[in-house]
Amino acid sequence: MHILSLSTLIPEQICDTERFFGYEGKQRISHYCGYASEFIARVLEDSTVDGAAFPRTCDSCRTVGSYMESSGKFLHFFHIPIRRDAAAVAYLAESIRAYQTAIENHYGVKITDVAERAERINTRNRGLRALYEHLLELSYIAYLETIHTLLQKPLQEQEVPTELSVRAASASPRVLVVGSTQAGTGLVRQIEAAGMHIIGDRLPESRRLIFAPEVSAKGDIYENIAKSILAGMLSPSQDAFAEIIKEDRNEILQKQVRGVIFLTQKYCEPYDYLFPAYKRMLDEISIPVLRVTEIGSSTENTALAIETFADLL
Amino acid sequence: MAQLYLQLQAKLMRDYYKDFSKYAKGKTPTRKVAWVTAFTPVEILEALGVEYIYPESYAAVIAASGQEQELLKESEKNGLCPDCCAYSGCFNGALSTGTAPRGLPPKPDVLIATNNQCNTLPNWWNLLAEKYHIPLIVLDYPGESVEKERSLPYVTMQHKDLIEQMEALSGNRLDESCLAEIIQNSQRSVAAWDRVAGLLAEKCVDPMALFDGISYLIIARCRPETAALYDAMYEIQEEAGEADAEKTPVFWLGYPLWYHPQRYLKELLPDFRICGSNYITWWSLDYSGDNPFEQLFTAYNYTFLNLSAETKRRRLQECISVSGAKAAISLRNKSCKCDFVSAKYIDLPQVELEIDMIDREYLDIEHAKAQLDILREIV
Repeated sequence: MHILSLSTLIPEQICDTERFFGYEGKQRISHYCGYASEFIARVLEDSTVDGAAFPRTCDSCRTVGSYMESSGKFLHFFHIPIRRDAAAVAYLAESIRAYQTAIENHYGVKITDVAERAERINTRNRGLRALYEHLLELSYIAYLETIHTLLQKPLQEQEVPTELSVRAASASPRVLVVGSTQAGTGLVRQIEAAGMHIIGDRLPESRRLIFAPEVSAKGDIYENIAKSILAGMLSPSQDAFAEIIKEDRNEILQKQVRGVIFLTQKYCEPYDYLFPAYKRMLDEISIPVLRVTEIGSSTENTALAIETFADLL
Repeated sequence: MAQLYLQLQAKLMRDYYKDFSKYAKGKTPTRKVAWVTAFTPVEILEALGVEYIYPESYAAVIAASGQEQELLKESEKNGLCPDCCAYSGCFNGALSTGTAPRGLPPKPDVLIATNNQCNTLPNWWNLLAEKYHIPLIVLDYPGESVEKERSLPYVTMQHKDLIEQMEALSGNRLDESCLAEIIQNSQRSVAAWDRVAGLLAEKCVDPMALFDGISYLIIARCRPETAALYDAMYEIQEEAGEADAEKTPVFWLGYPLWYHPQRYLKELLPDFRICGSNYITWWSLDYSGDNPFEQLFTAYNYTFLNLSAETKRRRLQECISVSGAKAAISLRNKSCKCDFVSAKYIDLPQVELEIDMIDREYLDIEHAKAQLDILREIV
C-alpha cells in the first residue's frame, strides 16, 4: 500500500500515507494550482504509488479526482466539514471510519492499530512543537526539512530529532512565513540566506501538526481524531479569516516579528483571498509584507525580491 | 402575452433593484438583509422575510454595463490577486469605489455563503465579513462524495440552524407550511424555465434571451411571479421560427460572457447557432423529497458543480444529446476553476477557449478566431 496524500488533513492515524511535497512531472493544467497539478502527475506517472487521498479544501482539490479517475488506483476524496460543532465532529468521525473502510476494502487489509498510531503521532507532534517553540535559536530550514522528511516516511520510522542545527545569536530581522504548503525548502533557504530569521510560520505542514490537540485513546477514537482535526488549523476556505488574523497578530507582536513573507502557489485561491485581509492587519501594526507567488521552482525575480525585502527590514 | 411578460419582468427587476441608488446614498433598508451566494437555500430567507442580495449577479450587471475594468483594477490595488474570481474583483471594486451602474446593494446584516458551487465563494464572503464585521454563515454541502444517510442529517441540521439564526435576526417565526409553499414556487419556476430553455435546441431563439433570462431563476426563483414570467416567455419564444438548419448547431459549454453585447462571441460564429448551454441548466434544481427539509437538501446538496465527475459527465452528455449539437465550444474560464473539467469527455468536435466571463481583456480574440476556424474545418 502506497497512498499519496495531498494534505495534512488526511488522518494519519488510519494508515501510513506519503505526504506529497512536490514532483517534476509532465502534467500541466492551465489556471490550476501547480502543486495540485504535480500531485496528479505523480499519481499518474509513479507506478509505485497505488492510491491517493485528498480533501475538498479548495477549487483545485475539488477537481483533482477527475484528472485521475482512469488511473485505476485507490482514490479517496475526503470531506472535512466547515463547521466545528458537535454535529461536525460526529460527521467527520463517520468520514474517518468510511476512509478506513474504503482502504480495508480496496487493499484487503484489516486496520487495528488506530489508537496506537494516534499515540505515536501525539508523541511526534510534541517533539515538533518543542522545536517550533525554540525557533529563535534553531535553524528554520532544518525544522521544515525535518517535517518534510518525516511525513514522507512510515510512521514507525518517524523519529523527531531532539537537536537541530543551532543558529548563532544575531540581530537578523525576524520574519514570519505564511502561506500554502511548500513544495520544498528552496524559498525558506533563500529567505534565511538573505539574512532574515524565520521565527514562526503559518504553513499547513508545520502548524497543522504542532497545534493539533492530542488525540485521546479513551472513548471513541474516531471522534477524538475528528475533534483534533477540527480544533486545529484548517484551510483558509474553512477557517474564519478573522480567527487566523487574530492568532497571527498575537504571534507577530509576541515574537517581535519585523516582517511577514506570504508564500503562495499561483492559483491558490484560499491564500489569494486571505491576503488582502491579512495585509490590512499588518498595515495596522506597521509590519511590512512581501508576497511571493511560486510558479513551479523559484525564479531569479523571487530571489531579488527577497533580498530587497531583507534590505528594507 | 408580450405585455404580461414585460410587466412581470419590470416588477421583479423593480422589487430587486429599486432602492440600489438610494442605498448608495445611505438609505437604510426596511428589512434585514443577507448577501448570499447563487445556490443558497433562499426559500428559508423568503419565508422569514429576510431580503437577499446576490453579489455575483450584480457583478454580471456591472460587466454588462462596461464598468468592470476600473473596478477590477481597484480590487487589485486593494490586494486581491487578479487570478481570483472576477465576480469578486468586480463587486469588491464597486464597494470600494462606491460606484456601480444601479447604485449599491443595501448593506448586509449577515453574510451567507455555500460551498455547493465552489470553494472560492466562502473565501470571498470571508473578505466581505472582514469588511463589514458582521456574522458569516457558511453552509457546507458534501455533495455526492458522501452517501445520503450521512449527508442528509448533516445538511438538515445546518438548515435548521440557519432558520434559528434568521428567526433571531428577523424577529419572525418560520411557518413550515409557508416554507413548503415557497418551495413549490421554486419548483414551478424551475419547471417553467426548463420549458423555455428547451426551445434553444429547435427554435430560432436568441441565446442572449436565455443567458439573461435565467437571472430571474437565480434572484427570484421562489417568487410566484417567476413561473408566470417564464410561462409568458415560453409563449413568446415558441412563436419564433424554426432554428436555421443551414447553421451548425454548437453547444456553449460555460458561462455567458457578461461583458459581451450578445453574451457570446456571435461575431465570430456567423455559420454556427448556439443550440444549448450547460449554464442555463445549473439552476434547474431538483426539489424532490418527502418534506421541506429533504427537498432543500436534494436541491442544494446536489447542485451540478457539487456532483461527482461521473454524474457531471453523464448529465452533460444528456444535455448535449438533447441539444442536437454537432460541435462544442468549451470555455476554460479564468474565474471558475471547477467548471470545465467535464468537457474533455465530450465525443464531439470541440475547441477550448481561454476566457473570462467578466474580464473582457482576458480574451485573445485572434487566438479565439484561429481556434474557431479549426472547429469549422473539423465540422
